[in-house]
Amino acid sequence: MAGRGRGRRPFGTDSSISRGEGLPPGLQQPTPVFPVMEQKPLPLAGGEEAEYLLALKQDFRGVMKNLPFFIKPAAAQRDVQRYSDKYHSSEQTNSLTDWNLEPSCLHVSGFQTGDDSPESCRSTSGGESEKKEEHEQSSEEEEGGVKKKPEEEEGAEAEEEYDEEELEEETDYIMSYFDNGEEFGGDSDDNMDEAIY
Amino acid sequence: MTAQEVRLCGLLLQEHFGEVVEKVGRNLLKSGTQNLRAIVHETGLSVDLVKKSLCVLVQHGACSFIQGRKGPGSPTEYKAHCDRVLRILRYPRYIYTAKTLYGDTGELIIEELLQRGHMTMSNTVKTVADRLTQSMDEGSSMDYGEVSATFSKLVETHFLQRCPPAAGAGTTGSSQTANSTSAAPASSTAPTPESFPDCYRVPQVTLIGRSKRSLASEEGEDQRNAKKAKMDPETHGDEGIYWQVNFERFHQHFRDQTIISAVANKLDQTSSEIVRTMLRMSEVTTSSTAPCTKPLSANEIFRSLPATYNIPRHILDQYLTLLVDDPMEFVGKAGESGGGMYIVNLNQALANLARATLESIVQERFGSRSARIFRLLLRKRHLEQKQVEDFAMIPAKEAKDMLYTLLSQNLVQLQEIPKTPDFAPSRTFYLYTVNQLPTARLLLQNCYKTVANLMERRLFEAKESKRLLEKSQRIEAILASLQASGAEPEQLTEVEEMITAPEKQQLDSLRLHVNKLDSAENQVDETIFLLESYISSSTKPTS
Repeated sequence: MAGRGRGRRPFGTDSSISRGEGLPPGLQQPTPVFPVMEQKPLPLAGGEEAEYLLALKQDFRGVMKNLPFFIKPAAAQRDVQRYSDKYHSSEQTNSLTDWNLEPSCLHVSGFQTGDDSPESCRSTSGGESEKKEEHEQSSEEEEGGVKKKPEEEEGAEAEEEYDEEELEEETDYIMSYFDNGEEFGGDSDDNMDEAIY
Repeated sequence: MTAQEVRLCGLLLQEHFGEVVEKVGRNLLKSGTQNLRAIVHETGLSVDLVKKSLCVLVQHGACSFIQGRKGPGSPTEYKAHCDRVLRILRYPRYIYTAKTLYGDTGELIIEELLQRGHMTMSNTVKTVADRLTQSMDEGSSMDYGEVSATFSKLVETHFLQRCPPAAGAGTTGSSQTANSTSAAPASSTAPTPESFPDCYRVPQVTLIGRSKRSLASEEGEDQRNAKKAKMDPETHGDEGIYWQVNFERFHQHFRDQTIISAVANKLDQTSSEIVRTMLRMSEVTTSSTAPCTKPLSANEIFRSLPATYNIPRHILDQYLTLLVDDPMEFVGKAGESGGGMYIVNLNQALANLARATLESIVQERFGSRSARIFRLLLRKRHLEQKQVEDFAMIPAKEAKDMLYTLLSQNLVQLQEIPKTPDFAPSRTFYLYTVNQLPTARLLLQNCYKTVANLMERRLFEAKESKRLLEKSQRIEAILASLQASGAEPEQLTEVEEMITAPEKQQLDSLRLHVNKLDSAENQVDETIFLLESYISSSTKPTS
């Protein structure tokens, strides 16, 4: 490519153009996406250390995806609100951080209950200004109550998890009653000859 | 906060914290300091999500908050730190260094702290002990005391530090901070962790016992135990004291390692051992921003050499003289008392290493003759075109070509010196020059762009083969559950055959590509570290 596209020489410095010649012929097509390199790059450093670093990096990324710090956007709206939405397990967001280190206006009561459903998000965004003022006023009470709350909440949630299989507040059904069949068929059956519909 | 840095930070946040945090972080990085309402308005996310994202960012130190600047009643304002987010690239290197220095325990401590941002000592010790117990043999478990000892060692050598007590968090008005014991300064700059006297003091922690191995077979008992453990929260006497990783100390360590290996490559193993000894002796006495170490006498160095290197005294003196005379100027002589006082020129060493990096970049991209011209200009500062051709011993036409290529890439600058007030071309000197610092900055931005491109390509490759990856993950899960429940080999092979051979090939090549791209990111980060250290060392105000 004689002097075309970005990163090329300034116009008049092309040594192949001598005085009095016309301009070079115009460009007929876009510049290539991957221009040819004159020098090939060196190969990557291999070796034990590089592989260990690589493994560490990929593990770290995988772990971070499962920690409570990985915030997923609000779950996609189901077509119909279902009774079982209330009982699907929610993350333990109260273990996210020590609230003493966060500014008071970030204390959200929605955190403690781990309520991430789209309904609560919509309602809070509607009344956001009121909520903020309310928080600034009640931040002092929350301050005192916040420390006790996570511990209480942890106890309550642990109880909930433990009792999940048998007792659940307000319902007589075990948790597997509320599975809506999405996870069915993920594990293999013992007999692979039957077709899975 | 250049465009490339913001782009790279966005990608890193997305990979580690999700898209929501990425949006909030990117907004903060581009717009500077903002309060909550402005962020909610600009990102268009719900208040809850924004609050959560800010919490996550503050927890990891990527964002800091200050009381509003417009007076006591104004809302808290948030500021994101670009360089802190870019550190995420270097996490594997920190973890690996901890492993080489303090073994598996140290590695896991640093890993836990990097994943969580900051944690109390008792939590860290418990989690790490549990993890170690998982990987140990049946019947043995990890003692909390061992892990605590490693933790204390990490604090003593300053690899871990306490988080500064939050200024303004949990208090409603700035009037309360006037006589608060947390001693937050009233200035608008955030206090550094080191400005607090207790920064490296290990608290009294009552943590006795061994970690419990969780038995996967007896789930009922385990749940009951877990319930019991959670019902009575154990306090260990260090509530509210949070620890974080001290990146500066790690960077000092990396810098020392680089200098030692450079000396080993240029001279020999013994010289590098001498330099290593000198650096080790000055670890505690030299601050991280000092241009050179405190002077050490040759007698002290001789006494502190490791026992395996019993070289006689006069040989040591000869080595020191050799190091001082070397053009790389790693070691300098600061006086004659005590058999000769020697220092390690840290800033000079960094500048030389950065220069070598720049030269090697030019050589690999443009060829060795262009590199010769580049080195020439670095040494001789300003040269005319004719002089360049003569000194570099390259024919005129090719030299002109190469110079113009380097000029168009901004690696070489043109300086015009007029003979007459009108800058007539026939009566003006045109001198070529290379400025090391701006060139280093340019190449650093190129490095950021490179890493961002590598990450995007990796995400693209993974997205292309998403269906295949999901299928293979499902098959692996099926295989694992089959093996756990003790199935016959025929069933296993049947399940394995659900992936066809060309699909397997595709998966293998995908894995190879992703690994290559990841590994390349790690390598570019090494260059980034070197250039960043050089730039920060030369832009500091020298006393």
